[in-house]
Amino acid sequence: MNGQSSRLWLAIRCSDLPLAALTIDDASTTPIVVAEKKVVVFANALAIEAGTCEGMDCTTAQLLTGCRVADRDLDKEQQVLNDLSEKLYQFTPHITRFCSSESADSGLLLEISSCLTLFGGLKNMTETINAFLVKTSYEFKMGLGHSEKGAWYLSFAGFDITGDETEALFLERLNPLPVELLFDYPKAMESLIKTGFRCFGDIARQINGNSLSSFKKRFGHDFIDALCDIFNIDQNFHQSSLFQKPRDSYKPQEWFEDEVQFEYPVTLVDHLKPAIETLLQQLSDYLRKRQQECQHIEWTIMDIYRHKEFFGVSSDTPQSYWTLLYDLTLIHLENKELPFEVDVIKLVCRHSLSLQNRSQVLDFEQARRRRASITDFAVTIAKLKARLGDDAVYKLSYRDSRVPELTNLAIALSEKSNQTLPEIFKKSLRPTWLMSPPEKLEERNQRLFWRGYVFLLVGPERVIGNWWDKPVARDYYLARRHDNLHLWVFFDLYEKQWYLQGVFS
Amino acid sequence: MSELPPDEPAPISIEQLLLREDTWLGHSGRFTNRKVVSTGYSELDDGLMNQGWPLNSLVEVCQSTMQAEWQLCLPALRNMPGLVALLNPPATPFCQAFMQVGIDLERLIVVNAAEKADFVACFIELARAGVGTVLAWQPEDQLTYTELRKCSLATTEATGLCIMFRPAEAQQQNSPATLRVFAQLVPGGLEITAFKQRGFLQKHQPRPVIIPLPEVWQPALPFYALNQKYVASKPQPKRRLASVTQLPVRGKS
Repeated sequence: MNGQSSRLWLAIRCSDLPLAALTIDDASTTPIVVAEKKVVVFANALAIEAGTCEGMDCTTAQLLTGCRVADRDLDKEQQVLNDLSEKLYQFTPHITRFCSSESADSGLLLEISSCLTLFGGLKNMTETINAFLVKTSYEFKMGLGHSEKGAWYLSFAGFDITGDETEALFLERLNPLPVELLFDYPKAMESLIKTGFRCFGDIARQINGNSLSSFKKRFGHDFIDALCDIFNIDQNFHQSSLFQKPRDSYKPQEWFEDEVQFEYPVTLVDHLKPAIETLLQQLSDYLRKRQQECQHIEWTIMDIYRHKEFFGVSSDTPQSYWTLLYDLTLIHLENKELPFEVDVIKLVCRHSLSLQNRSQVLDFEQARRRRASITDFAVTIAKLKARLGDDAVYKLSYRDSRVPELTNLAIALSEKSNQTLPEIFKKSLRPTWLMSPPEKLEERNQRLFWRGYVFLLVGPERVIGNWWDKPVARDYYLARRHDNLHLWVFFDLYEKQWYLQGVFS
Repeated sequence: MSELPPDEPAPISIEQLLLREDTWLGHSGRFTNRKVVSTGYSELDDGLMNQGWPLNSLVEVCQSTMQAEWQLCLPALRNMPGLVALLNPPATPFCQAFMQVGIDLERLIVVNAAEKADFVACFIELARAGVGTVLAWQPEDQLTYTELRKCSLATTEATGLCIMFRPAEAQQQNSPATLRVFAQLVPGGLEITAFKQRGFLQKHQPRPVIIPLPEVWQPALPFYALNQKYVASKPQPKRRLASVTQLPVRGKS
């Protein structure tokens, strides 16, 4: 085993996270179990006293003890851990999350070796963290160790932290821990118990005696990696401890938020423009410094009576510069009256993404100009969409179907059009304008009428299909209106009705 | 001692003014746009200044509802690079027809702007962006001269073809468009009359040009004659063969 590690990990295991995350008011006075997929994953003290245990069917638990059953909410648990990480960031930047795949145990692992001097030593630091955690509404078990997994498993043992711990002491403390704690590796745990391993010490003795190879053959790499982490074994014997595994750093969530307060109440959109420009320029600076870009911003206008109005501005392509967002905001405000006298305007950009690599193609022959595509007009398209809505700007694509109106598909500009026309349709008579849905033709004086009398010229082309949805049987004709306009009409064999499907133009 | 400049500038004669490059002369063609794209129809090209649709300018086609507008524009669209933006089209373009004639669907963008204010703003935006070709159908509300002027100015910044389809009644109104044509379907095809061309002094009544329509639109035989067996066995009276209009409406017979 390697005794050179200088790292120190503090595990903070939230023992009641599934229940605490649900924020149930009478959790301390009522027996409550938290269930996931109808199986109890957590029971509070009152429920345990009443006879429930983890792994029990929730219906059985309810019938047996009359306890209340609450559904587990993993998102809320992650949110709690996220909030805790945010608060513990003041102690160390190296925070990782530990979530068990087999049980409800979750928590945080803090690497504190680099922060000990700042907080006056190990004992002082752990006491400060403990005092901080006690103020929260969650229950915690702490464990100190030389490795991530070592600290995590030692949190089940409940040793006091004195400040004089060494790696040898940690390994000694690990020895009496039962093998059942390895529940995240159920197959390996079961095999170890069947083979006669009772505690971590038995595993350590086996490794010292016969190296790791016997475990590796039986339990695979994942379990071996876990054992190496627990006992701090370096598997790379040729370059022992030359490199240490890098620590993950917690990155607190950042967002842009700024506001401008006016010296006088603003009633005209024009007077908002300088403030909008200033705020967007600040956002642009913020994004540029972090090499980020954003697609959506939120504006809030407020008056002195705290009335608020929100509106969002989105762009199809991520932006790091302010001009397009400024134009889109003005389009949004165009032709609108302010609902009240504006006192404050606030800009919030909650979500940003890292700047994408942009490359320019060298184009000496101006060939690219001829192949102009929609991406070249992203700004124009964004402005059109801001004005008309996303659905008003679209592209067309072909969809395979026997029914003409079903073959025409409106797709978003970012999607690729299907242009594979079946051979059968390549020489069929098709109009350039499509009526979707088809328009009914009138019958006047035993003649067809659509804004004028219609005469049949060529046909029919029979279309039958779509039997799995709404059966269609139609006879299509080329027709001509009295003013020489050519139409594509059909007679619906089910409805016995003439329709206009398209116009040749 | 140098001579001082005279207090009053020397009077300029009208001849001198006419020699200036920036003086507009009605029929000189000095300010006309020489960038054009062929319409694809030689007869129509011959009737237009510079032998084609003017680029970077507003072209106005006055017609009653839907006529053969695609027949008019498709040959030019094939020669134009970039996208084809359809602003406020009267119906949905049928992609099968466009695939048949070899128009890349990736080039077609449909923009629905039924409100007049949105229409004008979108037209200006699309024209200024230089997307390629802008085909716009005027909304129900009539455009004022000022709005047309705005559109016309925006097209001067465009790089491609900008055609606005307007109702036939608009022919009687003033418009700042560079080229104005009237389109009407006639038995022989699509009749095009260019009734205004900027910089072109029309001394006579404009001569209409007829563009032939595709042959596939014409019936090869009268409708009755399609059923050869029926015709052979029971020859119809000549009067009834002349038209299919007297066919009883299907489902009602």
